[in-house]
Amino acid sequence: MAIQPDPIAPFSGFGLGLRRTHYDDFLAGGVPVDFVEVISENYMIEGGRQLRILEQVRRDLPVIIHGVSMSIGSARGLDGDYLAKLKRLEQRIDPLWVSDHLCWTRTSAHNSHDLLPMPLTREALQVVCDNIDHAQSVLGRAMLFENPSSYLTFPEDEMSEWEFLSEMAQRTGCYLLLDVNNIYVSSQNHGFSAEEYLAGLPLDRVRQMHLAGHDPATPERDIIIDTHDREVIEPVWALYAKALEMLPHLPAVMIERDEHIPPVGELISELDRAREIADRAMEPA
Amino acid sequence: MSARSKTLAERQEAFLASVLDEGTPAPEGWGNRQAAGMAVYRGNYRSALMGALAETYERTALYLGPELFARASINHAIAHPPSGWTIDEVGAGFDQTCAAMFGENPEVAELAWLEWAMLELATAPDCAPLTPQDFASASAEFGEEDWAGLRLGFQPRVSVRVVAHDLEAIWRALPERHEQTTLVEPRACVTSREDERPTFTLLEADHAPAIAAMQQGASYGELIAILLGDNSDPGPDDIQNAAMRAGAMLGAWLGEGLITAINP
Repeated sequence: MAIQPDPIAPFSGFGLGLRRTHYDDFLAGGVPVDFVEVISENYMIEGGRQLRILEQVRRDLPVIIHGVSMSIGSARGLDGDYLAKLKRLEQRIDPLWVSDHLCWTRTSAHNSHDLLPMPLTREALQVVCDNIDHAQSVLGRAMLFENPSSYLTFPEDEMSEWEFLSEMAQRTGCYLLLDVNNIYVSSQNHGFSAEEYLAGLPLDRVRQMHLAGHDPATPERDIIIDTHDREVIEPVWALYAKALEMLPHLPAVMIERDEHIPPVGELISELDRAREIADRAMEPA
Repeated sequence: MSARSKTLAERQEAFLASVLDEGTPAPEGWGNRQAAGMAVYRGNYRSALMGALAETYERTALYLGPELFARASINHAIAHPPSGWTIDEVGAGFDQTCAAMFGENPEVAELAWLEWAMLELATAPDCAPLTPQDFASASAEFGEEDWAGLRLGFQPRVSVRVVAHDLEAIWRALPERHEQTTLVEPRACVTSREDERPTFTLLEADHAPAIAAMQQGASYGELIAILLGDNSDPGPDDIQNAAMRAGAMLGAWLGEGLITAINP
């Protein structure tokens, strides 16, 4: 049985993803955030401008490294080269924490470069827990895993996603990155209650929240797609407020934008709304 | 075998096969909801690969125009589905796809090769090139044997190949297209990094085999032998000329900042 990793202390604050179009803003200083999050794979490199800028930003701000390619749900196990490069980045940046998604991305032959859905079965849970134990052992620290948006469920599912996440966290000692938009998207796509989802999670394990926009359903396509290319919508803000009321403490909250990235000021305005909602939700009764 | 008796590994193989190829039969037990979801994953996969190729090959895309570039991207992605964890890898070998598709315009493959080589350099380990003065100081006491045994360390991921087209002119002119880009004689296209900025230059064609040999560990004496070529019985003038040519090359490499170490 794997040793439970050391706990991750809560960190409260508001941040943004560090994207190339905003490098100059961050290097100039004065972007009012408490942390930044970077996509791990973009910095699992040996040198060059991107890495130098990340190191410069890190001097002023805590950094979270957030991956999309660990493939924690792969039945074939984890990629040793990937883990070694992630470990090197972790040592270089000393991040607040390292996170990835509850998903799989590859088989032994091919990589989809997408966050593919896990069947919610006991077998899949065992695979995920074994892989998390492996990753946390290599990194020497507990990780966070994000609930993904999904576009289909499997006939063989044996439990809900929140039950899967709960047992995963309990068995491995990992923490949760709660993507509020993803809960909304999946709840709409699969017809479950977002509130029930939240209530079923071990909320004391939540260390971070993502807020993002999505591509709504259309007459031709009744599936909502998680795109991170526009503003957060009102129902997601409402779900965020509800989640904050249920959490034992304010986590690290960030706006996630990966496409159609606006000037940093626009994202700060959106982040300000996240702060205001948090102020109201977390104030003592 | 029923869907429930398949292992997770088998299910994942079948799922990804269906993402890659919509002709693959749907897994057992799937209905319309799963089919609709699978269509989203297929769309995500294609747009991710097309996006990565467009980002890596920005200038090749400008040169070809959107329609031809999209065709080349789709052909490449179908023929070479990615296997590595970094999506950038989907661009590997795109120059060969271009060579096969645009045989009448071989400059397209050369341009694609150049963009890939530049991408590789952008994330290469940082290094400090030797200046000509550094090299002169370090080699001031060299005797004949020292020179013959001299090995050079190059910037990591420097690439070189012989090209038949004026890539400098093509690069500068984009998004406009130069109609006449064939060089009078082939040149060696050499990529390198100036601080953090990938760049390239065109040198005489014989630099290509010379740099390739030196990167693989050939000594300066062996370089002179390479420059003598097939001459199995060189006279003193031949050797003198080859040594002078090697010296000129070394000077050019130092001037371009390609050399980072002596006898690494």
